[in-house]
Amino acid sequence: MAHDHKHDDKKHGHHHYVLPNSLAFKVFGALIFLTIITVWTAHFDFGAFNFPLAMFIATIKALLVCMIFMNLKNDVKENSVIFFTSFLFLAIFIVLTGSDIFFRGDVYVKGPLVAGASKSKFKKPWVSTAELVAHGKELFGQQCTSCHGAEGLGNGPAAAALVPPPRNFAQNAGWKNGYKPSQIFKTLKEGIKGSSMASFATLPAEDRWALAHYVVSINPAHAKDTTSDLAAVGVDPSKDGMGGESSSPTIPVSVAMAKLAVADINVAVASSVAKNPDAPVGSGAAYYQSKCVGCHGVSGEGALVRNMGVSPKAYLKTGSLSGVPFDRFKSVVTKGLPGDVMPGYGNLSNAQLQDLYNYVKSAR
Amino acid sequence: MSDAHHGHVVEHPGSKPHVVAHHFNDADHEFDASKQGMWVFMVTEVLMLGGLFVAYAIFRGLYPEMFKAAHAYLSVKMGATNTVVLLTSSLTMAMAVSATQRGERNKALGLLAATVALAGVFLVVKYFEYSHKIHSGLLPGGLFGTEQNAELIKNFPKAPLFFSLYFMMTGIHGLHVVIGMGLILWIMKRTSAKEFGPHFYTPVELVGFYWHFVDLVWIYLFPLLYLVG
Repeated sequence: MAHDHKHDDKKHGHHHYVLPNSLAFKVFGALIFLTIITVWTAHFDFGAFNFPLAMFIATIKALLVCMIFMNLKNDVKENSVIFFTSFLFLAIFIVLTGSDIFFRGDVYVKGPLVAGASKSKFKKPWVSTAELVAHGKELFGQQCTSCHGAEGLGNGPAAAALVPPPRNFAQNAGWKNGYKPSQIFKTLKEGIKGSSMASFATLPAEDRWALAHYVVSINPAHAKDTTSDLAAVGVDPSKDGMGGESSSPTIPVSVAMAKLAVADINVAVASSVAKNPDAPVGSGAAYYQSKCVGCHGVSGEGALVRNMGVSPKAYLKTGSLSGVPFDRFKSVVTKGLPGDVMPGYGNLSNAQLQDLYNYVKSAR
Repeated sequence: MSDAHHGHVVEHPGSKPHVVAHHFNDADHEFDASKQGMWVFMVTEVLMLGGLFVAYAIFRGLYPEMFKAAHAYLSVKMGATNTVVLLTSSLTMAMAVSATQRGERNKALGLLAATVALAGVFLVVKYFEYSHKIHSGLLPGGLFGTEQNAELIKNFPKAPLFFSLYFMMTGIHGLHVVIGMGLILWIMKRTSAKEFGPHFYTPVELVGFYWHFVDLVWIYLFPLLYLVG
């Protein structure tokens, strides 16, 4: 019988190994010694090796405890398989989570983020060509016209709501960063703080160069870049390259989430916004219909703003107004969000603000 | 072979006989099954603590400088002391198991008592560490004393995260220490009642496993929390 054979095993000490005290003391000595080594090596800086070294020593200690004190060494093999498999799962857990968190940005920048963004086909995108201008014009139609207007005259459908108003590219005066291609490129990358001009760093660099060349083409009086202008945005004109992009930009998770939340809203909805004629004059609803609807959409779904490299607070879709106290709401509406698209509307009474607050909350 | 409807009985002079549960073929079968069950339980422990280790790995990867700065607020002396204390308790526990296997009941009782006492020392040291942290406002997340630690929070706004991990990881480990103490006391009671001997010592060995596992976790926690390079 099978288990009679097992009885014989027992006499050979297969299952009933008794740990000799001498071995227990030796292992204990080794464990203390390794602890001292760990503390001692922590005083030195081995750079990137600090962490692996500490983990290596800890793992030797852990193996000593497992193999000798817990006697896994003399135990049936399947117990080793069971126990060490858990560490395999732990490793999968750590590696997959880490590869997501630490390398997600790489995935995002490998493909074009925005529809219409092209593959790299311009070797020196800072040099204006007819092809680049045409590409820029196409992108302009997708990205810029809602504020800057179809002709770039600063008269897009959303322009009326923005303070300061969007730039009229036909004018020569008042350009914050200047109107050379490299300067426009910089603005596209960083946005303009304190205005509604958002950063478009999520567009590939050559797309931003194409936009810059198109904007320059609107007013031929614009100056050309010098070598030092190009150097200011990190371009060495003697070499091919992406132009001013040492590392590709990544998109923050929060922005990606907001983009996803409003992705199903068609931008066309915003330009044909249906006004609610029944809203009583002076009410929160009426105010929303006159001032907020252009960007936030008929029912707060985001609408226009979604196509402008920033994340609108798409209240209805994401519910992000929940938990926003009135004081904060009041501050945002009256002062705006400096550096963001949201302008301030300072001429509202407290009662009107309260009514607007209630309306926006109820709309959600 | 004994009666098929009742379990085997294993005996040792001077000890209570142990009746093998009826669904096992014999004492070895019971011993092996119990032990395997304990290993499977320890797998669940690894995976439970694994979540915290993953959180640690991710946040340390995201904020390496913060971890370096925040870990300086922990006492390496106390952490190292507790490492030695736990390693010693693992030794006494391992020796208690082998003493039981040899039938040396009084020696086993003494070693088990030493193990509980060392666990107590560990908790006392932990108490001093915790009370110092609480006093200095070095607390998890929203409880963090931003005014008391203005310099740290100014340079490393995410520092409370380190203390969230510190308290969660050492807290769950500390809970295991307390549970382990209870289990060892239970084993001592049963040892006094002459239940264990060379014929039957499964509960002693399995509580030993649990205790070594507590030690095992600390072996990793000590360098991860106290010795961030």
